[in-house]
Amino acid sequence: MRGFGSTLGLYRPGAGLLYRLPLAPKAAASLGCATAVVGWGSLPTTSTVLVLALAGLLIGARQSVLQTARMLLPAAPVLGILALYQGFSQGWVQAFVVVGGIAGCLLAARSVTLTTPLQVLLDGTASLARPFRRLGADPERFALALSIMLRSIPYLAGLFVDVREAARARGLERSPRVAVTPLVLGAVAYAHRTGEALAARGLGEHDDEEDDRGQDHGSVVG
Amino acid sequence: MQPTEKTSPGPVTDGRPSSRKRWDTTDLSLVAVFAALIAALAIVPGIPVGPLGVPITLQTLGVMLAGAVLGPGRGTAAVLLYLAAGLIGLPVFSGFSGGFGVLAGPSAGYLIAFPPAALVAGLLARAVLRSATRFRTVLLFLACVVASLSTIHPLGVAGLMVNAELSLRDAVLVDAAYLPGDVVKNVIAALLAVSVHRAFPRLLARPRA
Repeated sequence: MRGFGSTLGLYRPGAGLLYRLPLAPKAAASLGCATAVVGWGSLPTTSTVLVLALAGLLIGARQSVLQTARMLLPAAPVLGILALYQGFSQGWVQAFVVVGGIAGCLLAARSVTLTTPLQVLLDGTASLARPFRRLGADPERFALALSIMLRSIPYLAGLFVDVREAARARGLERSPRVAVTPLVLGAVAYAHRTGEALAARGLGEHDDEEDDRGQDHGSVVG
Repeated sequence: MQPTEKTSPGPVTDGRPSSRKRWDTTDLSLVAVFAALIAALAIVPGIPVGPLGVPITLQTLGVMLAGAVLGPGRGTAAVLLYLAAGLIGLPVFSGFSGGFGVLAGPSAGYLIAFPPAALVAGLLARAVLRSATRFRTVLLFLACVVASLSTIHPLGVAGLMVNAELSLRDAVLVDAAYLPGDVVKNVIAALLAVSVHRAFPRLLARPRA
């Protein structure tokens, strides 16, 4: 858990065609792979997606075979079991179609996050909300919410570790309620503090909504 | 200790077609922090269960909590923000590393079910908190159970059938492996929600005129 901050650094600087490509085509290709595999699961689809994803990573992003294989490690247990299940029940071609398709989609998605800096990724996401502005969407607030979320994950993960250690010290580590209650209360209190800090800076607030808010700070959980 | 007074839910219409009240910055950061909370609970190593090893994690606990603590609107928004972060590739989903790839994975149905689950849990929880004064924990537990049985399990089974190409019978069997864990998580969600609403009574209070 403590090491989570490092895993957020998905981007690895490098050279290659995929690094020079803008985000939109890369994201569209990745989404296209997932759509194709879900919509038209067949041998040609799976083969095409796998070839595209592998070519993107090996040639477009100049990754080694080992680096590429390592990207599938987190999903390997599920994929392995699924391959065995499909292999024995429907035959090994079907196993390849199902498991290969999922693996290809995961690799395609990873090739996008690998070659796109986080900030570009976040900006691109916020700009997706732009066409919906007419419907009441607010790209700035969306981007703000996204960055508050990312900033809060390390805080909450650290809080979770602290709370767990405190519970263990009292011999209560087996009670999930004891382990999670201070985490959730802490999260709500943290959200209130963040909201007040934002309001104090006039961020994320609507212009016509400036109102005097009484300051009643204080740590809610000791 | 109560945080600041919320903005008055007066009619703030800035040319928006909907009549719902604008969220203030506290609402915005509650949504963002709960999305982070779901992520933090999801990345705690899960316990792989069942023949497909879709892991039992506290992820669904976070989803239920978002609904039961924040109510339908903000709860659903928190879950949607969490999904958006995962879909653009941030490693906030359990097991898989995120990105559009999860849409093709066996647990896609569960992920798609999260926003409606938070919506149903939120609607029921708000009704419970505003009308019931006794047996709140039990009623909130039932609200979570209804939400998970009406959304997460049917859509999860559908996802297993479409993406992992399981037969209906096998998909239901795989899904059933999660039911006991789900009941436990719903109990925890109800207990936690009651604690949170006791500490922060204004979170889901009836808007005063």
